[in-house]
Amino acid sequence: MAADNDPESEVFEITDFTTASEWERFVSRVEEVLNDWKLIGSNVGKPPEKGEYTTGTWEEKSREINFADFKFSITHHYLKQECAESEGKEDGEEDAFPLAMQDLLCMNNDFPPRAHCLVRWYGVREFVVISPGANCEAIISESKCNLLLSSVSIALGNTGCQVPLFVQIQQKWRKMYAGECQGPGVRTDFEMVHLRKVPSQYNHLSGLLDIFKAKIGCPLTPLPPINIAIRFTYILQDWQQYSWPQQPPDFDALLAGEVGGVEFGKLPFGACEDPISELHLATTWPHLTEGIVVDNDVYSDLDPLQAPHWSVRVRKADNPQCLLGDFLMEFLKLCSRKETTDEILGKSSAEEEGKENSDITQALSKLTEPTAVPIPKLSVSNMVHSARKRIRRHRRNDQSPLNNDVLNSILLYLFPDAALDKSDSNEAKAPQSNPGGKSDQDKETEDYNLFSVLKSAPWDCLTYRLALCVCLVNFYHGGMRAVAHLWQEFVLEMRYRWENNYLIYGLPAGPPDLRCCLLHQKLQMLNCCIEHKKARDNVQKDAASENGLPVPQVSPGKSWDSWSDSEDEFFECLSDAEDMKEVPADGVKGAGAKIKAEGRLQPHGKLTLLNSNEPLYIPVTQEPAPMTEDVLEEQSEVLAKLGTSAEGAHLRARMQSACLLSDMESFKAANPGCSLEDFVRWYSPRDYVEEEVSDEAGGTVVQGSLSARMKIPGNMWVEAWESAKATPVRRQRRLFDDTKEAERVLHYLAVQKPSDLTRHLLPCIVHAAILKVKEEEAVEDIASVRKIIPQVSSHASKLLRHPSPDLKKLEDTINQITMLEATIARARSLRAKFGLGKGERGEDTENLELFVSSLLEEPEVAVIGAGRGPAGSIIHKLFVSAQRAALLAPLEEEAGRVGGSDDRKPAGGGVPDFPPPAGREILLRTCVPRPAPYSKALPQRLFCVLMREDFRLAGAFSSDTSFF
Amino acid sequence: MRQDGSMQMAAPQKETADQNFDYMFKLLIIGNSSVGKTSFLFRYADDSFTSAFVSTVGIDFKVKTVYKNDKRIKLQIWDTAGQERYRTITTAYYRGAMGFILMYDITNEESFGAVQDWSTQIKTYSWDNAQVILAGNKCDMEEERVVSVESGRLLAEQLGFEFFETSAKDNINVKQTFERLVDIICDKMSESLETDPAVTTGTQGNARLTDNPPPLQQPNCAC
Repeated sequence: MAADNDPESEVFEITDFTTASEWERFVSRVEEVLNDWKLIGSNVGKPPEKGEYTTGTWEEKSREINFADFKFSITHHYLKQECAESEGKEDGEEDAFPLAMQDLLCMNNDFPPRAHCLVRWYGVREFVVISPGANCEAIISESKCNLLLSSVSIALGNTGCQVPLFVQIQQKWRKMYAGECQGPGVRTDFEMVHLRKVPSQYNHLSGLLDIFKAKIGCPLTPLPPINIAIRFTYILQDWQQYSWPQQPPDFDALLAGEVGGVEFGKLPFGACEDPISELHLATTWPHLTEGIVVDNDVYSDLDPLQAPHWSVRVRKADNPQCLLGDFLMEFLKLCSRKETTDEILGKSSAEEEGKENSDITQALSKLTEPTAVPIPKLSVSNMVHSARKRIRRHRRNDQSPLNNDVLNSILLYLFPDAALDKSDSNEAKAPQSNPGGKSDQDKETEDYNLFSVLKSAPWDCLTYRLALCVCLVNFYHGGMRAVAHLWQEFVLEMRYRWENNYLIYGLPAGPPDLRCCLLHQKLQMLNCCIEHKKARDNVQKDAASENGLPVPQVSPGKSWDSWSDSEDEFFECLSDAEDMKEVPADGVKGAGAKIKAEGRLQPHGKLTLLNSNEPLYIPVTQEPAPMTEDVLEEQSEVLAKLGTSAEGAHLRARMQSACLLSDMESFKAANPGCSLEDFVRWYSPRDYVEEEVSDEAGGTVVQGSLSARMKIPGNMWVEAWESAKATPVRRQRRLFDDTKEAERVLHYLAVQKPSDLTRHLLPCIVHAAILKVKEEEAVEDIASVRKIIPQVSSHASKLLRHPSPDLKKLEDTINQITMLEATIARARSLRAKFGLGKGERGEDTENLELFVSSLLEEPEVAVIGAGRGPAGSIIHKLFVSAQRAALLAPLEEEAGRVGGSDDRKPAGGGVPDFPPPAGREILLRTCVPRPAPYSKALPQRLFCVLMREDFRLAGAFSSDTSFF
Repeated sequence: MRQDGSMQMAAPQKETADQNFDYMFKLLIIGNSSVGKTSFLFRYADDSFTSAFVSTVGIDFKVKTVYKNDKRIKLQIWDTAGQERYRTITTAYYRGAMGFILMYDITNEESFGAVQDWSTQIKTYSWDNAQVILAGNKCDMEEERVVSVESGRLLAEQLGFEFFETSAKDNINVKQTFERLVDIICDKMSESLETDPAVTTGTQGNARLTDNPPPLQQPNCAC
C-alpha cells in the first residue's frame, strides 16, 4: 500500500478502504509496481536528441499483476538515456511539466523507423502499459475499460508518478490504448479512435485539422499556430525491367557442352527468386504550418517529388529459395536415410549369371550411343570404362539411376588422370601442393587450413571433389539412387586402381592425415597400399630381370589374389634364390666369419663398430605401418585395456616391439659383428654413456658402456636384441601388410551406405560451402557477412570434430550459411536495381554504393537530396515504370485510384508517377490553454494514420486541472 | 571446445571396468629420450622412484584420479618413447590429447634444444587448444646443470607454455605440474563454453560449467 508509506496522506481513511475490494487491491498492486520501479516523482530531462529513439537502446521490464483472477502484465518501456539525471537536476523547476508532456511536442524523433507504436504515436520516451496476460481475453466492454482507466488514474494520483500509464483495450491486434499522464496541476489524456475505413471527410489534412481544433476546443482567437508533420509511404512491388536475373543453372546444358566435368567442381549460389520483395518510400514534410499547404478533397499540394525528405526501406523476401542452401539441405537429408546400396540398386551380383541377352543388347546399343568422353585411345580412361563395364552389364541402360553421360563426366572430373598419358597418371600428384597465385599469403593459409578446422579434406583433393559430385548428383541427377550408383562406381574404380597399381590421383602423399575426415584417411591409406605394392612389384621385376629368371607374370587384377593367401610375406619380394646362393643361411657360420652385409642405407657419421674398425651403417628400415584414426583408436584401446600393472606394461611393450625388432634385425644385417652397444649408439645415443677414465699409463681414455637402464637384466631391449636375427629389411616379415590393409579399406568402402557416405563427406561440403560464401562475399564486399563467416566456421568446427556430429545442429549451420547466401543475394539484387556494378563509375556511384549497402543493414535509410538526388531519381524512375506497366496495361483497372486521392498530379500520358500512398501519417501539434482561456498553455497532439483498411487517430490532450 | 572427440574425453566408456569418474582427460608426456618422462610419471602415479626404468618402447600409460570441485577427473597419462625413430608412432597419439607435458633434462643441452622442435610437433599434430606445460626435469642435479632456470622460463614464455622445474627423484613440483595442467585444461574448457553459447547445449562428452570458478560439472552421461 503505497499510500501507507506517505505520512502526509490521510492514512486512516485509506487504511480503512484498502483491500476492501478486488478493485482496490488491484490499484494498490499497480502502485506497488510503480514504487518498485521507482517511477515516482518528477524527473527532469533534456529533450531527446535528433534520432535518439532509433540509435538509442530501448529497454523494458515486466511484471504480472492480477485483478481478481484476471491476469494482467504491466510493462515499463523506456529509452536508456545516459547521464540524463545528473544534468537535469539543477534546472528542475517546481512546476515543470512531466517529461512525457514535453515529448508530445518535441520534433526530434518524428516517425522513428523502429519503435513501439506508442512511441511513434505519442513521441514519449518512457511509458508503462497494462495489457491483458498472454492467455486472457481482451478488455472490450466499455465499463471494464473505464474501470481500468479509473484504476490508472487513481494509481497515478496516489503515487505521484509522472510517467504515462496506458491500458490496452479491445482486441490485441487493434493496438488500442487509452491512458493518462499526471503532473502537478496538469493532466494529459491519451485517447484513440480506430476504424476500418477512412471516413471521407477525414481523408485529408483539412478534415483532420478540423477534428483536432474541435477536440482542443480552444477559446482563443486567433488560434495559436498548429505544427504539422506529414509522411506518405509508397510501396513498390513491381520491379519491371530489373527483373531478378538469376535462373537455376541449367545442368543439362553444361553436360552437353565440351566442358566435361569441370563444372562439377562448383557449388551453385544465389537466390532463385528476388530476395528483395518491396521497396517502401517514405516522403516526409517534417515541418509545415497550417495554410502553407493545401490538402483537401479536391486538391493537394503534397507531391511526393517535392517532399523535402525522403527515406527508404526494403522488405526482404521471407525465405527466398537459395541454391546453395537447398543443395546443402538435400545433402544433409541424405544422412538420415537408412537404405543400403544393395537395397537401392538391387543385388547386382545375383543377376550376373545367365544374362547374356542383356549383354548383347547392351553391346548393340553401345554402337549407336554417342560417347560422352571424346578422348579415345586413352589408357586410363579406358581403364575407367572397363572397370565400369563390369557393373553396367548387370543393369539395363534405362535402369541405371545415373545417366551415362553424367557418370562419365563425373568420373572424368574425379579422375582427371584418365585424360592424361599413362606415364603421367602414375604420378599421384596432390593438386593442392601448389595452390595458385598467392596474392594474399595470410588469407591463403587461412583458407587452406580450413580443412583441419573442419576436419574435412584439403581443397580440391579427390575427397573434396567427390563431396561436390555427390552433392550435385543428389540434387540434380537422381537423388539417393544416383548417389548409390556413383559410389558403387567409385569403389570399383578404387579396386581397379589397387589391382592394377595405379595410384589414386589427387590425394596428398604420405600416411593418412589424421586432421582430415575418416574417408579421406581411408583413401590415403589405400594409396599407401598401392605405393607399397608398386614398390614390391618393381623390386620383384628388377630382380627377376637381373637374374634372367622369368618373372611370374602377375596378371592385372589378380595380383592381390596371389598374395593374399600367403601367410609369410616379406617386406620386399626379392627372390631368395640369389641370397641363398651367396649367403649361406644365417647362423650356420660362426660369429667371426665374414658375413656379407646387407641392407645398408648410409654410414652413420664417422662412427665405427666397437668391436672392429668397420664403419657403423644405418640400415634400410621398415617404416611403421600407417594408420587411420579408427584403427589407431582400436589399437590404443587394446593397449589401454592391458591395464597399468607391471605385467600390463610389459605386455604393452612387447606388443609394440615389432618395429624395434625389425630395426635390430636390419641393423644386424647391415653391420655384421655388431653389438647392442653399437645399435644403441645409433638408435638411442643417450643410452650409451662415455666416461673418461684414466688408464694405467696416466692418460685418459674414453670408455663407453650402456646406460644403467639398458643394463637392467632381461629388459625389453636386451631381450629383443638377443632374439633378433641378422635379416635385411627385404627378407623380413612386412610390418605393413599392404594387401590386408587394402582389402580392409576396400571392404570398408564397399559397405558404406549412401547415408554413411554423405556423413563422411559432410565436413567437405560445409568446407566447400564456406569457401563459396567467402568467394561470393569478396565480390560484393559485405561487412556483415564477412563478420559472420568465421563464426560459422568455428561453430561448424565444433560440431564436425565430433565423431558423429549432431545432424540437428548441423542444420543450424546450414541455415546460417543459407542466411549469408540470402544476404549476398539481396545485395546483388539491390545493386542491380540501382544500376550498380555495371562497370561505369560516375561521381555518384560511391554514394550510391553506400546508400545500397546501408539499405541492407539499417531499417530505414535517408535519401540524400530526396527526389532530386541520384538515388532519388532512380527510385522515381522505378516507380514511374511500375506505374506505366500497371496502368497502361490492357486491362486498366480503376482500382488503382480508389484508395487515395493524393496522386492527382498526372505525369505524361495521364499516368501518375507514383501509386496512391499505401499509408499516410499526419501529425498535428500545438500548445494551447485548456480547458479555459486562462488555463496554462499545454501540449496537444494528434497523430493520424490513414491506410487503405486502417484509420487511426491517436490523440493526447492536456488540460490544466488546477481549478477543475 | 574440441574435447568432444569420443576416444579421449569420452564420458565413461562402457567396456572399461573403472567407471568411477566424471571426466577423463588424456595427457601426454613427451620430450627427448632419457629426460625422465617415465620416472616422472611413476613418481606422480605410484609415488615411487627407481634410478633406472627400462627405456619405453612405443607408448605406455598410467592412470590417476584427481578431485576438483567434487568432481572425479580420471587422468589417462600416456608416456612416450623419446627416440627419434618413434616419432611417427607417438605423434599419432597427439590428436586425442588435451594436455601435454613437454619435458627436457636440465643437465642435457640437447634435450633443451629440442623443445622448440617438440612444440612444433604439438602444433602440427594436436588439437589446436591442447594445453602444454614445459618441465625442466632433474633439477635435483644442480651440480650438473647446463640449462639455467631463466632460459627455461624464457623459452616457455616465448612458446606460450607454463613452466616448472621438476625432480622426479626428489619429488619436486611433480604433483604441481599435473595439477596446474588439469587446472588450465578446465579453465580452457569453461572459457570456450562461455564464449560460444552454441556449445553449452552440450555435444556428447562435453563438460558443462557451473558459475563457481574454476567451473566443472558432469558430462552429460556420467553414470
